[in-house]
Amino acid sequence: MAYLLHQLLSKSASKYPNNTAVWARGQSLSYRELDERSNQLAHLLRHRGIQKGDRVGIYFPKAVESVVSMFGVLKAGGVYVPLDPQQPAQRIQYIVDNCAIKALVTTREKLQRLDPAAIGTVKFCVFTDRMNGAGTTAIGAPWEELAGFPTTSAPEGLQSTTLDLAYILYTSGSTGRPKGVMLSHQNALTFVDWCAETFQIQPEDRLSNHAPLHFDLSVFDVYNAIEAGAAVYMVPDDAMLFPASLAKFIAAQSISVWYSVPSALVHLILHGNLKAQNLDRLRVMLFAGEIFPIKYLRQLADLLPQVELYNLYGPTETNVCTYYRVDRAKLASMEKIPIGRACANTEVFAVDDRNQLIQPGQTGELYVRGPSVTCGYWGDAEKTHKMVLPNRFQPNYEEKMYCTGDLVILREDGDYDFVGRRDSQIKSRGYRIELGEIEAALLTHPSVKEVAVVAVPDDEVSNRIKAIVAPHSGSTLTAGHLQQHCAQRVPRYMIPELIEFRESLPKTTTGKLDRVLLASSR
Amino acid sequence: MMQEIKDKVREFVLDAAQRKGLDSVTDTESLTENGVIDSLAIFRLVSFLEDNFGTRIADEEIVNENFRSVDAIESFVAEKLSKKSPVHRRQ
Repeated sequence: MAYLLHQLLSKSASKYPNNTAVWARGQSLSYRELDERSNQLAHLLRHRGIQKGDRVGIYFPKAVESVVSMFGVLKAGGVYVPLDPQQPAQRIQYIVDNCAIKALVTTREKLQRLDPAAIGTVKFCVFTDRMNGAGTTAIGAPWEELAGFPTTSAPEGLQSTTLDLAYILYTSGSTGRPKGVMLSHQNALTFVDWCAETFQIQPEDRLSNHAPLHFDLSVFDVYNAIEAGAAVYMVPDDAMLFPASLAKFIAAQSISVWYSVPSALVHLILHGNLKAQNLDRLRVMLFAGEIFPIKYLRQLADLLPQVELYNLYGPTETNVCTYYRVDRAKLASMEKIPIGRACANTEVFAVDDRNQLIQPGQTGELYVRGPSVTCGYWGDAEKTHKMVLPNRFQPNYEEKMYCTGDLVILREDGDYDFVGRRDSQIKSRGYRIELGEIEAALLTHPSVKEVAVVAVPDDEVSNRIKAIVAPHSGSTLTAGHLQQHCAQRVPRYMIPELIEFRESLPKTTTGKLDRVLLASSR
Repeated sequence: MMQEIKDKVREFVLDAAQRKGLDSVTDTESLTENGVIDSLAIFRLVSFLEDNFGTRIADEEIVNENFRSVDAIESFVAEKLSKKSPVHRRQ
């Protein structure tokens, strides 16, 4: 068994050197090419001073080089940090600074968006766009420079262990700043090994990659393809937006294993004209990130009778921790789809307000223990101690458990149902969003006196975001101003779609915002 | 008619752009790359076009080629409307 993520690639490259490993934008790499190029990148990174544990950002639109970069950084002993090329420069700069990213694999165009003064930790860049006459410099290496490094064997002498960090995924933070979830090789492999066993991924399989790389769904797409000697096909930009193009892509590329948020599948069902496509190769569809509305799930099950459907559940901090295989016979009478029960090597349990384990029929907060639980948040020991606690239910040895903040009901059959959140975290199109981060962004506008951001439930995308704003008197603030203000601070999917202005916001008797009243008036 | 189509499309696009924090959008700029058209906005735009021009847009027509820019949307709508017109058909 592999104990480091990049060992998955070495193994598959020796078994299936000529199989296609990755496809994106019409380009593909075989296992031999992916292995050799990532070896070269690892050598280059080491040559440029990357040491064990150093953070390397991956900051460019998805391409075959994305996967080369992930493996190259790991082989160099580094920790990769996927940076969403669509996010505002301010947020990217914050992340670069927060985890002291030392090198970026990027394009010249993307790098130009960033303020050099704000990314002072970056010592050099590797550019994936072609040279156009630009050569090697002290701070920049063109992709062509890889050719000068050995294709064989990654750098040695790193003494890596399975507990070393592999990557950091930044997710929305309630205090207004994104937080970096640290994941080790062991964290990731616990999930990858379970998937390999459960979904029986074969070398002939073609896995889609729909999720962005900073989103943990992509961990399955990339590493389970590589583990099996299968191919990962990155969904083209136009198919990400247009359901009819997405349906054609799935058919034309003979995708056999699909994984995405339910919102993408709802659009596919409603507007993809799936019946017009030959989707015989499709055998497994996985979805996670939000609740799949049962009426659409029934339609999907009817449209694709041969496909096994699985609901996966888990926060970034644990990757997937529970799963539910859709039973078509039960679907007709079901009111909502359960999140199911624990994956192998993981244990979940729910605890009530009195700190007692709940019994069937009761509601409690879901806790997760096992080797998939995160090492914590980068540079935030306080938050780590709050969320990743010693497991008091296991007195015999020391271990951690993660409190998800998700409220669940334990069903009589042993599956769990998701019922809601303890805090103001929401999901929209599968993205995890802290309403507090949006409020903090709005409050930085000088004309905003008070603000509350609420979620408006929606069948197709889980939630739409609405801001209720009380401006300072005399201000001429418009919704457009505030949306533009947000666009410079938070990702697009966090910009409030609706903005309502009021003279003041309702308060509770203790002077806090009355969120119950706000929620009921939306 | 062409101008009317363009004005209506611009009206929608500008509003959608503002929601994404953009001040202005040119007629040739890619609406998918600048993020103005996302998975929600695309279907709002389709309903908007259907309502304003009394035409029906099929799922197969909702593709990048027809929606990539203000100009592309304008030609797409104009083409659809011209096919509806009996005058055009005789030409």
